[in-house]
Amino acid sequence: MTAEAATAEPAAPAVRRGLPRLDRWGLLVLPLVGFLLAVLVWPLTAVLLRSFTDPEPGVENYLAFFHSPVYLDVLVNTFVTAGLVTLVTLLLGFPYSYLMTLASPFWRGVLMLAVLVPFWTSLLVRTFAWVLILRDTGVVNELLPGPPVPLLRNLPGVLIGMVQVMLPFAVLPMYAAMRGIDRRLLQAAEGLGARPAFAFWRIYAPLAVPGVAASALLVFVSSLGFYVTPALLGGPKNIMIGELIVQQLSGVLRWGFASALAVILLVVTGGLLMLMSRLVDLRRLLGGAR
Amino acid sequence: MWAGRGRAAVSACALIALAGCGGSGGDAKELTVVMWGGDDQQKAVSAYVEPWGKEQGVKIKQDSPTDYAKFRAQVEAKKVSWGVVEVEPNFAVTACKSGWALKIDKAKIDTSKLDQKLVGDCAVPTLQYAFTIGYNTTVFSAQNHPKTWAEFFDTKRFPGKRGFWKYATGAMFEAALLADGVPADKLYPLDIDRAFRKLDTIKKDIVFYETGEQQQQLVSSGETPLIQAWNGRIFAAAKEGKPVANEWNQHLLSYDQLVIPAGYKRADLAQQWLNWFLNNPKAQAIYTNHSAYAPASDAALDYVNPDVRKEIPTSPENAPKRAAIIDYSYWADNYDKVSERLNEWMAQ
Repeated sequence: MTAEAATAEPAAPAVRRGLPRLDRWGLLVLPLVGFLLAVLVWPLTAVLLRSFTDPEPGVENYLAFFHSPVYLDVLVNTFVTAGLVTLVTLLLGFPYSYLMTLASPFWRGVLMLAVLVPFWTSLLVRTFAWVLILRDTGVVNELLPGPPVPLLRNLPGVLIGMVQVMLPFAVLPMYAAMRGIDRRLLQAAEGLGARPAFAFWRIYAPLAVPGVAASALLVFVSSLGFYVTPALLGGPKNIMIGELIVQQLSGVLRWGFASALAVILLVVTGGLLMLMSRLVDLRRLLGGAR
Repeated sequence: MWAGRGRAAVSACALIALAGCGGSGGDAKELTVVMWGGDDQQKAVSAYVEPWGKEQGVKIKQDSPTDYAKFRAQVEAKKVSWGVVEVEPNFAVTACKSGWALKIDKAKIDTSKLDQKLVGDCAVPTLQYAFTIGYNTTVFSAQNHPKTWAEFFDTKRFPGKRGFWKYATGAMFEAALLADGVPADKLYPLDIDRAFRKLDTIKKDIVFYETGEQQQQLVSSGETPLIQAWNGRIFAAAKEGKPVANEWNQHLLSYDQLVIPAGYKRADLAQQWLNWFLNNPKAQAIYTNHSAYAPASDAALDYVNPDVRKEIPTSPENAPKRAAIIDYSYWADNYDKVSERLNEWMAQ
């Protein structure tokens, strides 16, 4: 007894160091954990299992991915499209968010509303509205002189539709990060002789990076799952993997193959994020900084 | 036919459905009817489901749109909340073979007055429709527009873009083969290679649509002055005053079917309703007068308004102009293979 107690005693601090201390407030996290287990972990496990078991046990579904070139092409197109959407969204969202930090409260509200109102509109309604605006006989082409500019059923159409959907996801995190930046730092830099552009680039921009990184990640990963918007605004060449998954799931009913496509998308996305975190310190960018 | 509409609305539930998100079908006297949704479903249910419900004291519930993944998930999880489901016939064949749908019990459901081509082992017809040549009447006149699929594919004589539904069962292969000179009675099994060679000749002029709304937009705006259309969509747009019309020559007849998911607790009510519906031509005609989709049974033609009769595929005026009826037993066996080839062809 005494020997046991003696050996147990020194071990205790180690345990305390290893695990975060949970007091009763910690129990508040349990509903969320349970929720995630039920709606994320369990279904994902089911999808993973199905990809190896339906219709027969084995890796047949993964071999089918390479059976036709179309799946790899569509997967590549999915990542390229998501990358382009991220780039354009950030290029538009950055100055917009910056403007929001400078604007008076009234105009800040207006800017916020302008980015959020479309966000509250049904995706299908918005997408059909874009069709009316962008088509050959649509609003834009009626205003432009000359033969109609093709804006629909091609990449520009997809980008316009997706960027509008994604803009709030870019603007909100960037605005949150920029609001916290002390503008007196810029004055201090200029007081020390830096030209405004230089001060902005060397002082302001690095401080805004966490917000930009969070936006980029959010927009990129969300964009990977799109399919209604590219299906309606894109052409046959703009098909994204989500549409093929739905086709296999609800049309052709090859659930094992649909699951394999979903797993491949998930794994490639995870791999890409890991690669990115090697290149840039994601953890620091996403909030460890302050 | 209208799965496009459904597909666009498929929610995240589709994935959760893998794990089974069906509801429960109790023993209450109620029947859940599932169709493609929208105004069409409201009109259909009020025309020929609710009157029966009132008569029999059965509470009618609705869900929409039809989603084959949800259908299968409910049956496999043995939690079936859908009672009668409107589906495409190729799915009806697959569902029947896989045991997901109840066999039609001819002792309980009298199908003797129907065209037997429309009746499957597990399915009965709900409506008939046609893939017609839809055209914009400001771009082409009633005299001078494509009247055959060969002319539909002739972009020199009739310049402009052509619309097709983007799914393999959308009759584009049938139209291409007819245009290429394949006799209508030798269409099946489809020579897919030959069809793709024909489609190649107009590939740059093809616009693929996803939904019925898109179909109406494309043809009525003149952006796609020619479209392989669902006759009822053109009818509806014309009724709203849009400059569009159906060319009935060489139309391809198709149909939707109703099935009862296996394991539905009140299958008895579903069967009773199906029997009432199929043998109630008056009720069928109410929906036809609204939609211009032809009734399941020809007996209903007597109750269809004269101006609508001109616009439905089974009327004495239009039936002789038919090229073929879509063979869904072919599509049940080949849908996945041809879909994959179509995806490849589109991506090229």
